[in-house]
Amino acid sequence: MDASLHDAYEAMPRLRIVIAQGVAIEMTTPQHSMSQTNWAQMRDAASGSSTAQASLDAIARRAWPAIYAFVRASGHTNDAATDLTQGFIADVFLGRNLIEKADQERGRFRTLLMSAVRNYLNDSHRRKTAVTRTPALGLRSLHAMHDVGHEVQDLAGVSPERAFHTRYVGAIVRAAASRLQRELVADGNEISWEVFRMRVLQAAMTGDVRGYDEIANALGIDKGTCAARVLLAKRRFAKLLKEEILTTVEDPADLDDEVAQLLALLGSR
Amino acid sequence: MNHEPTPSTSPQGSSRDSAESLSDTLRWAFQLDASPALTGATWLAREIVPDASDAFEAITATTTSLAALRELKSAFKMLRSCGATTAERSLAARLYAATLAAALIRHRELITSQDPANLLRAFTELTDDDTMPDRVRDLAALAIDFVRNK
Repeated sequence: MDASLHDAYEAMPRLRIVIAQGVAIEMTTPQHSMSQTNWAQMRDAASGSSTAQASLDAIARRAWPAIYAFVRASGHTNDAATDLTQGFIADVFLGRNLIEKADQERGRFRTLLMSAVRNYLNDSHRRKTAVTRTPALGLRSLHAMHDVGHEVQDLAGVSPERAFHTRYVGAIVRAAASRLQRELVADGNEISWEVFRMRVLQAAMTGDVRGYDEIANALGIDKGTCAARVLLAKRRFAKLLKEEILTTVEDPADLDDEVAQLLALLGSR
Repeated sequence: MNHEPTPSTSPQGSSRDSAESLSDTLRWAFQLDASPALTGATWLAREIVPDASDAFEAITATTTSLAALRELKSAFKMLRSCGATTAERSLAARLYAATLAAALIRHRELITSQDPANLLRAFTELTDDDTMPDRVRDLAALAIDFVRNK
């Protein structure tokens, strides 16, 4: 790591934690507001403002799973992929390369991010230096790895692009779900969150589907109420999901097109 | 647009591609927006009676079980108070009354603790509402006779 990067790294204790421990996105993890677009957060992260640290943390938190998945599906071991992901975040995020490109290219954060990761991997020099950084930054624990999303099993035989998009959408869904949880709990509506988590989120994230009968029994409510709670949570979730996707496009008019593209990308092998 | 119930996956989970699960979730989340004709009431009805084309069919079909009518009643009861718009809450109130009528006529069961006066008022409002399909209004008329003669 060069001197300026090292200084920046040292100056941001929160980022050091993110890099050293990996970014575990859990439903109960407090999230920074995602009202800003990813570009606005990136520019803020580089600005040295009072919110720079929070912006960097938020954007690294969101991007980590997709970056890691791309690297891992490119044939790297867990440890190497973790290291390379850490290196990418340290070099590209802190190095401001991505921020400069974002200003130049503007458009979809997803496209920019994947292109930057691909280029990073193609840079053998950076890859080597990233590996040598391992002892200083530490390796993420197996527990943290699981939090990122079952990469080890899921990424076998998956193209880097598909792995990237799956994790990218997964992070958006998790962010929206996390906000939904906070909203419902704040409303004293924990039971709707539980129904949504068991019926929808679990299926989306782990493929484990639970029927209304099972959920109703577990929560002590009837099936009809269960379905109604899913409907009401679904509407709020859709609104939050839109807001999250909107943070990744420069022009709000691109929302529908971005959703269509994400669906197409998830559907392609 | 065909109705898609809540995103479903294989029971084993691991055999299903996680990209497919996420894709299902995205489609599901935006489903109501993409198809304004698919009302919350219809979505709810199909969650409980998957073969029904809409809420009215779910309620009036002779094949709908008493258990399903009880579930529909609970769902519409909640939508009646928590629906997104006044129109949706009003529709849910009508559908709630219709499930009570269907349970009475199809299964000879009273699935509410409401007193007869309230029941008659709800059924009468249903029969008088010309925005409701004839099959629902007919069911309500039969329910009025049933309550009066009991």
